[in-house]
Amino acid sequence: MGDLRAVVESRDLEMSLPQGSSVGDLLSSLAERFGDPFAKWVFTGSGDLHHYILIFVNGENIQDIGGLSVKLGEQGGKVEIIMLPMFEGG
Amino acid sequence: MATEMVQTSCGMCYIGCGIQVKVENGVAVSIEGDPNNPQNRGNICAKGQAGLMNLYNPHRIKTPLKRTNPQRGLHVDPGWKEISWDEALNTIVSKLVAIRDNPKQLYIQGWEVTGDSHLWLHAFASAFGTPHYSSNGSPTCGKVIHPVEFFAAGGFHQQPDLHYCNYCILVGTQFAIAARASFNHILRDMADARARGMKLIVVDPIGGFAGSKADQWIPVRPGTDTAFALSMLHVLLNELGIYDEKFLKHKTNAPYLVGSRGLYVRDPNSGKPLVYDAADQRIKPHDDPTLSDPAITGGGEGGRPSFELLREHVAKYPPEKTEEITTIPAATLRQLAKEFGEAACIGSTTVIDGVELPYRPVCVDWAKGPQGHKHGFHQCWPLKLLNIVVGAVSVPGGILSTGAAGKKPFQWFPEGGTDGMLEKGGNILPLPHPKAFPGRTPTKPVRNDLAELFPLAPHYHTLLPITAGDHERYGLTYGLQVMLHTPTNSVLGSFGDLNVVERFYQSIPFIAGFAIEINETNLFDDIVLPFPSYLERFDFNAGTSSRQLGPCGQDDWFWQIRQPVVEPAPGLRHPQEIIMELAEKVGILDDFYQLLNHTFRLKEPYALEAGRRYSPPETIDRISRCWFGEEHDLKWFQEHGVIRYQKEVEETYIGPFLKARLPIYLEHFLQRGEELKEVIGQMGLDWDFSDYTPLSEWMPCPSYNALQKGDYDLIAVHYKFPYVYGAFGNDNPWINEICEQTNAYHIILNEEVAKAKGIQDNDEVWLESPVCKVRAKAKLTQCIHPQVVGVGGHFGHWAPGMPIAQGKGVNFNSLLPTDLDHIDKISTALDHCVEVRLYK
Repeated sequence: MGDLRAVVESRDLEMSLPQGSSVGDLLSSLAERFGDPFAKWVFTGSGDLHHYILIFVNGENIQDIGGLSVKLGEQGGKVEIIMLPMFEGG
Repeated sequence: MATEMVQTSCGMCYIGCGIQVKVENGVAVSIEGDPNNPQNRGNICAKGQAGLMNLYNPHRIKTPLKRTNPQRGLHVDPGWKEISWDEALNTIVSKLVAIRDNPKQLYIQGWEVTGDSHLWLHAFASAFGTPHYSSNGSPTCGKVIHPVEFFAAGGFHQQPDLHYCNYCILVGTQFAIAARASFNHILRDMADARARGMKLIVVDPIGGFAGSKADQWIPVRPGTDTAFALSMLHVLLNELGIYDEKFLKHKTNAPYLVGSRGLYVRDPNSGKPLVYDAADQRIKPHDDPTLSDPAITGGGEGGRPSFELLREHVAKYPPEKTEEITTIPAATLRQLAKEFGEAACIGSTTVIDGVELPYRPVCVDWAKGPQGHKHGFHQCWPLKLLNIVVGAVSVPGGILSTGAAGKKPFQWFPEGGTDGMLEKGGNILPLPHPKAFPGRTPTKPVRNDLAELFPLAPHYHTLLPITAGDHERYGLTYGLQVMLHTPTNSVLGSFGDLNVVERFYQSIPFIAGFAIEINETNLFDDIVLPFPSYLERFDFNAGTSSRQLGPCGQDDWFWQIRQPVVEPAPGLRHPQEIIMELAEKVGILDDFYQLLNHTFRLKEPYALEAGRRYSPPETIDRISRCWFGEEHDLKWFQEHGVIRYQKEVEETYIGPFLKARLPIYLEHFLQRGEELKEVIGQMGLDWDFSDYTPLSEWMPCPSYNALQKGDYDLIAVHYKFPYVYGAFGNDNPWINEICEQTNAYHIILNEEVAKAKGIQDNDEVWLESPVCKVRAKAKLTQCIHPQVVGVGGHFGHWAPGMPIAQGKGVNFNSLLPTDLDHIDKISTALDHCVEVRLYK
């Protein structure tokens, strides 16, 4: 969902990551795969998530359950990375 | 006869006042302000009362329409044919499905802030996967104020604290007199403030409504606000030595040491900016726990405090030099700076509700006027700095920040981040706020609006008409294929030169839009969907007042909803219902719900559930109960109209409670500028980087240069009327009558200048800009700068569907050249001062 589709050019991606991987690991892997346009839209210069990035793991907002360190789970899971347009403006 | 009073929310502009509508036998007959609503305290403006005429407008659209004429243009008859809802929605769905694999080809113009539509369309755009969502309507308004406010105060907009302010300077705004959010509230606050002796200064090319109320009106040449502000700073900092040293040391980046390349001197290990602690004469990180007396003057080879650089920089703008640029006499400028500095009462405190707070009863307020320039960001930023250097930010008497903090029904408060600076704005809804710190890293553009090349801008729609005719030049491999839009009249008001706007709309193969009546934008539609009046609608978000633009000060926080006061006209459907149906038919309903749940903070058991459909009342009922408790359901709001909570001091005066520093030096502008140069170099574009500077410089607009060259002799600017706020509802006989009786459709011109040109009051004249020549009626006045022509309101309609407004007044935007040379490279604002000739 969101603006990131303009970079990723795909709605769904299936990824295999080592057991115990976190959301942060997944994003690093995606940044490697899609390069600067992905990395620079998702992360600030200091490596934090931009404020317009919204991530759900199995339907739960990672802000409510531990942020980037949230584990993806042994059975894998559905991770939704959404770049929301900045909102409001006169 | 059955008579009832129904409580609901006005929708004649974006504010959303609380209203009580008298309904007799199912017919709405009068509108009054709700005395229990903190937003307007019983007041109602002329435009609000005139809403009845829009409800019963015989030219309203009540059935979906489709175009039969394949030609599209500004003055082309679409050949409308009435169709069923099924045909209309299925046609739209088929166009959306066709671009499903490449969803960025969808553009949604979502500005419709009187109700829920813009929030729902925001979620729809994200669920569909397009970055092209525009949440703003104007080519200037909001472009600078929101990013500046979020990084320099923490909220959405600024507002003078009229409860305590003693000296208020308005620059390019008619705040609390003819314009701005919470209008019917702040209007009374402004009158009270003036009655108790607050001095009001208005710096504006036009001495209009605000000028007429001011103690002093100071005409200024358009596009020279930067020079005015820098000169005021020079007098304060260098001539008078007036500044809030304690505030600057501990609450801003004034002590951050800056090296020879203009960047912070940083700790080699942590990367944190360094400061010099005068207490122990050591250099240490800005957040070192032993830091007690950070120096803001002095410095040497190890770097100089940014405040020292600011003082040195503004010394380049003595009032005598500024007089040549602005036409404001040097003595007047010194008088203002002295009065402002002395009235700031630096060092004073006051006690409110038992809490001791800094007391700074002065402020400079600005809004749309300074934003609308080629170098719009730097026209505005030094005006904000005037408040910062005297510590008059978010404290009693100073400039306050709207919507920045709250405790009910949720907690929200601005937070610090990068380099200890204010980074995360306060926002009741968890949506990304428009901000310019630290900005984004530029990349080659994927978006048609070139957002990637404007890393500090809040929104970018002004670029769309410019790139539409030349995608390859910007490395774009596609164009927009489908557009959905709200009833907002973007063709008339969101861009500039109509020839460029026409080409842009013609370049999009399929356009569908909502309509109240057929306005100029709807003339380009392939499908038109009727939009109900605000008096026929349910909305949870009933205007912007509760959310982001409520009255500042200690007045209650509140929330209101909107409910129908009369039965909707047969055939009308709620926009929420239509958006939901489109989402379901396109196959994105579950994702759409997930985003709506996020937008409205809906948790179980109130969250919208996948696979279900909800009516607008059902969704509002869920959100109401989730936010305010089971007892405050939709029915409660329908009976009581508004819920209100008393604000605490920490919500009202957030400055002392903010754990972050405010900027006086924009180091990150240098960083983003360097990154952008690399990208632009790779693309081979010609680009102006002069705005990527940490300290503002005055740079002339094209109109200034045109007058210097003698090609033109006047500059046209836009101004507002309180009864024509936005173009919404312009086809209204009551509004038209006020406009005719006040000569609002005329353009205004300085009396002496007119005489020299042989022009009399009410003469028909030609007004000619580089891109447009129009016929207008002149009104002569002494209350306008001699180099300026004033064009007011949102007029110049030509759509046959608006017979009352058609052919009256001038459409100001159509005068504006629309190209990259007229776009602010920081904010994307379109230059709104344009060189013109005026003759009979």
